[in-house]
Amino acid sequence: MAIRPILLYPHQALKSTSIAVVPSDPAVQAVVQDMLDTLAASPGVALAAPQIGHAMQIIVADVSRKKGEAGHGLIVLLNPVILALEGRKSVREGCLSVPDYTGNVLRYEHALVEGLGPDGRVVTVSASGFEALAFQHEVDHLNGMLFLDRIHSLSTDLFRRKK
Amino acid sequence: MDHFAIVTAFGQDRPGIVALMADSLYQLGCNIEDTCMTRLRGEFTMMLMVRLPDGIAAEALGQRLTPYTTPLDLAVLCRAMPDQAATRQPALEIPTFMLSVYGADHPGIVAQVARTVAQHNGNITDMNTRVVGSGERPIYVMVLEIQLPEAQQADQLRQALEQLKPLLGVDLTFRPLESATF
Repeated sequence: MAIRPILLYPHQALKSTSIAVVPSDPAVQAVVQDMLDTLAASPGVALAAPQIGHAMQIIVADVSRKKGEAGHGLIVLLNPVILALEGRKSVREGCLSVPDYTGNVLRYEHALVEGLGPDGRVVTVSASGFEALAFQHEVDHLNGMLFLDRIHSLSTDLFRRKK
Repeated sequence: MDHFAIVTAFGQDRPGIVALMADSLYQLGCNIEDTCMTRLRGEFTMMLMVRLPDGIAAEALGQRLTPYTTPLDLAVLCRAMPDQAATRQPALEIPTFMLSVYGADHPGIVAQVARTVAQHNGNITDMNTRVVGSGERPIYVMVLEIQLPEAQQADQLRQALEQLKPLLGVDLTFRPLESATF
């Protein structure tokens, strides 16, 4: 149990691909607890294990930490997979691991995410809005993807013509 | 102590302008920091913030660049940047809004919209405009990013902008910029 520093790019842990985990593994449980402690002490609403230096497929999210957002409350997902996405939209996104910068990325309004809870049971979450964005962002971290890899346009995107 | 300059340059668009400018600055020992470059129809325009090497003042940089930029006929202007302005600021949680204004083109749209924003203490932090539509019926489109000191001031600004619609013959929307940090 500990609050870990949130790693900042260019730490290479943020660009590595995470591996699937076994819920009963005590090392996994320890990382989950560190992530919860770190999230509680951070200004953010979600974290992925690579952000505290573990190449493990674990994410935690609690969008209710943001004023006006409820979502599903605290969710811990091991080996999460996005099953379905719906409703493309452009969002200006930032990341605690890339401070002081935001960019326009393409995301989806709705996301159906499935993974294992810390107890090993299958958890399926149907998320919308801000919570859906959080899951998309965190699952990207497990694949070594940052929002910088997804910036689809500059601020002038409105004027770009489709040829 | 680092010293910074703002370099603006523009010229007829063609491949290689950025490469030439970046290479010239590199040869002179400058480090390119924040930049914004875009094409205004056939003209390519650049604004670059550069960290100056020891021994080159901002005023001298323009002259030093000229031999490099002459072949592409670029107009270049350099000016020292106050240290305070050059300092990287942490991203503050300032209420930020997007404003889209569009309508039949006529002189005065930008001036009146910008004046209204300024009168409500709005700070325009980014802005793009385009003349679009057919040659006979040009349409003016402007998109602004505006910061307000207090979110509560948004309603007053919105009302003032609404009043501009019949005066300028434009349509507009003013909305909070949704930004999510994870």
